[in-house]
Amino acid sequence: MHQLETLFSERGWPVFDYQRRAWAAYAEGWSGLIHAPTGSGKTLAAWGGPLLEAMDNPPQALSYLWITPLRALAVDTAGSLNRALSDLGLDESVALRTGDTGAAERVRLNKQPPPTLVTTPESLSLMLSYADSGRRLGSLRAVIVDEWHELLGTKRGVLLELALARLRALNPGLRIWGLSATLGNVDQAMAVLLGPAKRGQCIAGEVERQIEINTLLPTETESFPLAGRSGLHQLPGVLRALNRAGSTLLFTNTRSQAELWFRAIESVVPWPDQVRLHHGSIDRKQRLETETLLRTGQLRCVVATSSLDLGVDFSPVEQVIQVGSPKGIARLIQRAGRSGHRPGQPSRLLCVPTHALEILEIAAARRQVELRRVEARAPLTGSLDVAAQHLVSCALGGGFRAEAMYRELRDTHAYADLSRQHWGWLMDFITRGGPALSAYPGFQRVIEQDGVYKVGDRRIAAMHRMSVGTITADGHLQVRFVKGGSLGQIEERFLTRLRPGDHFLFAGRLLRLERIRDLVAWVRLGRGGRPAVPRWAGGRLPLSTLLADAMLELLAAAADGRQAKDDLTPIRPLLARQAEQSALPGPNHLLVEQTISREGAHMYLFPFAGRLVHEGLAALLAWRIGRDEPRSFSMTVNDYGIELVCDRPVQLDPARLRTWLTPERLADDIMASLNATEMARHRFRDIARVAGLVFQGYPGRQKRTRQIQASSGLMFDMLSEHDPDNLLLAQARAEVLEAEMELSRLRSTLSRIQQQEFIIRQTERLTPLAFPLWADRLRGQLSTEDFQARVQRMLSTLENGHMPSRPAAGSATRAVAG
Amino acid sequence: MTVSARIDLGGHRLELRPERALFWPEQRTLLVADVHLGKDQVFRRQGLAVPAGVVGEELRRLDQLLDTTRAERLIVLGDWVHAPPRSGDRWPLEVLEWRRRHRGLSVELVQGNHDRLLGHWLREWHMVDHAERLVIGGLSLVHEWLADQHSAGVSGHLHPGVQIRSGHERVRLPAFLRGDDHLVLPAFGRFTGLMERTVFPATQRWVIAGDSVLSLPPKIRA
Repeated sequence: MHQLETLFSERGWPVFDYQRRAWAAYAEGWSGLIHAPTGSGKTLAAWGGPLLEAMDNPPQALSYLWITPLRALAVDTAGSLNRALSDLGLDESVALRTGDTGAAERVRLNKQPPPTLVTTPESLSLMLSYADSGRRLGSLRAVIVDEWHELLGTKRGVLLELALARLRALNPGLRIWGLSATLGNVDQAMAVLLGPAKRGQCIAGEVERQIEINTLLPTETESFPLAGRSGLHQLPGVLRALNRAGSTLLFTNTRSQAELWFRAIESVVPWPDQVRLHHGSIDRKQRLETETLLRTGQLRCVVATSSLDLGVDFSPVEQVIQVGSPKGIARLIQRAGRSGHRPGQPSRLLCVPTHALEILEIAAARRQVELRRVEARAPLTGSLDVAAQHLVSCALGGGFRAEAMYRELRDTHAYADLSRQHWGWLMDFITRGGPALSAYPGFQRVIEQDGVYKVGDRRIAAMHRMSVGTITADGHLQVRFVKGGSLGQIEERFLTRLRPGDHFLFAGRLLRLERIRDLVAWVRLGRGGRPAVPRWAGGRLPLSTLLADAMLELLAAAADGRQAKDDLTPIRPLLARQAEQSALPGPNHLLVEQTISREGAHMYLFPFAGRLVHEGLAALLAWRIGRDEPRSFSMTVNDYGIELVCDRPVQLDPARLRTWLTPERLADDIMASLNATEMARHRFRDIARVAGLVFQGYPGRQKRTRQIQASSGLMFDMLSEHDPDNLLLAQARAEVLEAEMELSRLRSTLSRIQQQEFIIRQTERLTPLAFPLWADRLRGQLSTEDFQARVQRMLSTLENGHMPSRPAAGSATRAVAG
Repeated sequence: MTVSARIDLGGHRLELRPERALFWPEQRTLLVADVHLGKDQVFRRQGLAVPAGVVGEELRRLDQLLDTTRAERLIVLGDWVHAPPRSGDRWPLEVLEWRRRHRGLSVELVQGNHDRLLGHWLREWHMVDHAERLVIGGLSLVHEWLADQHSAGVSGHLHPGVQIRSGHERVRLPAFLRGDDHLVLPAFGRFTGLMERTVFPATQRWVIAGDSVLSLPPKIRA
């Protein structure tokens, strides 16, 4: 340990107590989890143990596995691990193996295994699918999982849990260490990583990082919009901040917002070539270049999305700007940590609200950061698609025996409760396609020989290895200049809406679409013309419960006239107006407003439970009211509340409202109130790919993914018709409820509402809280009418030219025929 | 209640049916294209778990159509099968049983690109083989429309589909396409994909929504 302390002091870094404790725990043979904020020396806390061990006992075979969630991070990680080795006078022996590793290098790695390998969960699964995996991976001393909080709660995390169970079975003495940012449930995070049978040490980085959060407040409060989301009206203030700092990372929540902000900044600053754009769709080479320039201090400003949330050390960044609410505390802290990425330095974050209520959101987030309260991340359990994939990988990797494998699966958190019945179904699925009752003639993926399950067919083996992993690629098109040069990828859905000659904004440039051929969109630089900005799916997180609750606390405090911090000053007049016209919501009561307009009778509820929960809640409430007194509603939701509109007012008394908002029979009613089958059909796309029901194609001969989408939909229909009890269909339905409706959060919201007092107000006009919902309405519709009527209505809408505008981020409208 | 659309093509009255088929009342003839029988078996053989029953279901749909239209002649405009049967496959026998139930029916095939190498099976299924083209009453019936074709006719091959978008909602539906005097049929087989972009210069389109065929207003972009 002495050597490590010397190393630290030579670099001028303090050795923290938690790092010493982690090194000691490792030396004693413990597994565990190290959690600390970004930039507090976690990497060396975890790497120190193996380093010291390797000095005493030089590894002869592959001994350490370092798992990182992002391929892009692997290069950097391997670099910094090697640096530590050479500083201690050891050989730089850390090698890489990711999806980017070429075939020749992989063969070399197999022949001469390096002592340490940096890899991704997918590449680890792939390694398990080779026949000699037991021999090659059996020599491991320790596995270190970096950024575990990013994997927890995802199917990639589940895949890793299964791979770790395999490694534990090969070597029961294996040490497993996780690195995590601060989470609300670190103990659980450790238990999930280690599996139900292993004990571990949870080590907290006690380093208190100072986080300075400031809000960019508008100068003219009156003009601050109640709704809207680009936030570009705040550009002057942002420019002042950019000029004050040497280098800035500017985060937005969506890629389209990033494109707009990049364009705006680049066209007004005197140093346009020191501004770069970074998001997940931009060409990898360009992204890496931007990261290098940023690291070497050559850029003044990088506009980014969550693509820069993780890992990589960007110490020269002086300041971080967040446009729009970060929607969660963990994300806010993570982003703040991107600046002053060195132990001991404070993180500085400037939040830029895009509309009035975001000032409140940011103020609430700031209180939570001061209290050091962070969201929990719930792990996934029972995903049968991932288990099916893993079983085929193990069948390929030398084969398995049924009983031993069943025990191995149950040695993970995800499948600790896997029933005999589900296990039996899984085995049927991989050997026969389905249960004997539904005929799957001619199907076999895995075969049994003398009690060992294996893959016999080479073609099936090749197909499986191509499909290992759980991340589904949406249909994407390459964007290339006609004159050469790749810009990145855009979702097919956006590009196919454009015609040749149309302009759009991408990778920070104004482009003109020339033509689309094969999987490439050919473009030239555009001039003039009104550009479209691509909207990427996903990336819109709902407000976290922790943050939403904090907002309610603030509102309640404002209502009582308590607490007079400056950061709320700009919206005080607005809150006063809300209180005067109606009331302020709070944690102990539910605010309900009713008002009449030319459009009909409006009803607003403000549970502050996040967009997804509100979507479910709106559908549920409309359906339950409609069941008692038939009528039609249209609905809108945002992160704060819901709006229901119908032709005549609903007679509301608290008792009736309370029965409509009961958590009883929730799952049944929500399924009945939504077009759940269609949602499950969509959800099935990922499941079908993970479970190996559809195949994405060989590289070079890539089948268009649009065709896979069609065939996973078809597969869903075929299974529903011919094998309706297929458990993967049930999984799709369950995932719709949990991932798309946040059913458990909806349930707890309803339970809380049952405890709340209802404040029902008839208002003369729209209140400040109701206005954004009203403004978002009529952006789209979805209904429970029968299919034919729906298509007919859609056609007549189009024929009459009432083309509704596209839905905007943050809102969703549905109409329900009651 | 099913709703068909009626059109006039080369002087003949034809019915576009929501069962993804074309009925020619004057000839008592039913036309379908792209049935792709046995596609599920091809998938299973490659290790993709598609349940059996698809072939049976397609044949039942044909039964129903024949029953409602009382057609005496069934003309398949190509791609009757997805791939030639292999030994051990059960589905060709299902087709054989189906054929035995319809002894009085004339079943004819205009070959499509998937129908090659069917060998003795066409004889066993008692199907008349018309090779590339069949002409009835001046209508040229082919599998694949070619840009240089000028006579009135009907084809398949393209699996046409249309995506309709209205605000939040999106649905993809099988479609009939018409350009001049040529009509393209949707794929009859349900285990087939939909193509939204085709080379065919359609001037009029109908979509199949449930059991109705609905004409599409011309200005909607697919």
